[in-house]
Amino acid sequence: MPSFASLFAVVLSLVATLAASPANADLLQDVKARGELAVGVKDSTPPFGFIRENDRSIVGYDIDIAAAIAKALGVKLKTVPVTSATRIPELMQGRIDLIAATMTHTHEREQQIAFSYTYFVTGQKILVKRSSGVTQLAQLAGKRLSSVRGSTSEQNIKAAVPSATVLAFNDYPSAFLALTQGKVAAMTTDETILLALKNKAPKPDDYMLLEQYVSSEPYGLGMRKGEDAFRAEVNRILVELERSGAAAKTFEIWFGPKSDVPLKRTFKIENDKI
Amino acid sequence: MNYHFDFDVLLPGQYRDWLLDGLWTTLQLSGVSLVFALLLAIIVAVMRMSPLKTLRAISASYVEFVRNTPLLVQMLFWYFGASQLFSDSAAQWLYAHNYEFVAAAFALVFYTAAFMAEDIRSGFRAIPREQMEAARASGLSFLQSVRFVVLPQAMRVSVPPLISQALNLIKNSSLAMAIGVAELTYQARQIESYTFKSFEAFAAATVLYLVISLIVTAAGHLYATRARGRIYA
Repeated sequence: MPSFASLFAVVLSLVATLAASPANADLLQDVKARGELAVGVKDSTPPFGFIRENDRSIVGYDIDIAAAIAKALGVKLKTVPVTSATRIPELMQGRIDLIAATMTHTHEREQQIAFSYTYFVTGQKILVKRSSGVTQLAQLAGKRLSSVRGSTSEQNIKAAVPSATVLAFNDYPSAFLALTQGKVAAMTTDETILLALKNKAPKPDDYMLLEQYVSSEPYGLGMRKGEDAFRAEVNRILVELERSGAAAKTFEIWFGPKSDVPLKRTFKIENDKI
Repeated sequence: MNYHFDFDVLLPGQYRDWLLDGLWTTLQLSGVSLVFALLLAIIVAVMRMSPLKTLRAISASYVEFVRNTPLLVQMLFWYFGASQLFSDSAAQWLYAHNYEFVAAAFALVFYTAAFMAEDIRSGFRAIPREQMEAARASGLSFLQSVRFVVLPQAMRVSVPPLISQALNLIKNSSLAMAIGVAELTYQARQIESYTFKSFEAFAAATVLYLVISLIVTAAGHLYATRARGRIYA
């Protein structure tokens, strides 16, 4: 049976090794020396990260952004599939250098990891009839809106427009039907769901999404804390992508008018405010 | 079990106010529907025993049609379907005036009246035919005979089954949440989705439904005791 002292020594050395390994060198130089940037991405979340059918490779908006960063650093991109549950542990264990996996930048997550500038914004929006003349969130004061029971959408709209009445229905089609029939002035939920409902309507052009977000979900790239040089370089590259128009072009590929989820680009990559 | 019971959500504050709002809406919806359903039921039941074949046929078809269609479908019909038939201005006016409540009340009235009409009809049948014949022979018209002789007795006989229809009506009013009426069940679900306290929210709603139902039952019982001996059947 090992003595307490030797056991203690083993544990101590283990702790020392673990503590030392991620912080032993500057990650930016480390990545350049390795010639490879390991990025955690989603592989089943189109159009952000998914497996393309014809060549089985992982593609998407997140992957294009990651690839642009790797290219600017002058290294190869290595994609590592992650899920929402595994992405932060994988980063903390050092298996990946960067997370580009539809991750919303939140204050809770800031406790654990560092975020780059916001590189994509999605969130809750408002769908109205084009004929209603409503173009601003404020015009919905005192009006009735439909939403779906139990969703955060309902809570968010009450916070954004306190005087609006929210009618909660059991499902999205009922809430949309109430809008179609004019029983409510607007419908609110996630942008992608609204878009799908709008596009399936007999006359999609009769409806429009307000540009303002009720609540926004800014996506940021995740990095380990303390790698300030690396983070500064990633942010510098992102800003450069924005300036050169490359970021907008990437957006156009995945969310442009000809894509499956045509969105309007209402953000610019310029800061990490949330 | 690692569910943590926390009945604090039901203490005075926002959530309790929602629950009380829901209770008030349930009471209003049930009350309004009960009054109109009773009136409609009496008309339908009287039509059912009228000497005119057409009236009897209309009444019978109505009862069979409504009794054999799910209430939820009727509610969705009144809310999403019937409103398509209004003119634009009428629709706009209605939508601005709590149309959810109106549609739910319509559905409840039409649905409940069909069942109540059947109960009142059994009440009529419990009154010997001879009373009707005697009334007609004494010179009263059909409607007068119904109004002064048969109906008062028939209603008294029908009270117990009508009480149970009233209880059904109160419980059925919870379906109105499907069309966005913020009644008791709707509010319980809202509280659940805000607080994740499902057990507490639904327990509170259950207790409130139980209390309303017990009050209605007690009132019916009281009536039945007092009315005893006033039926000449």
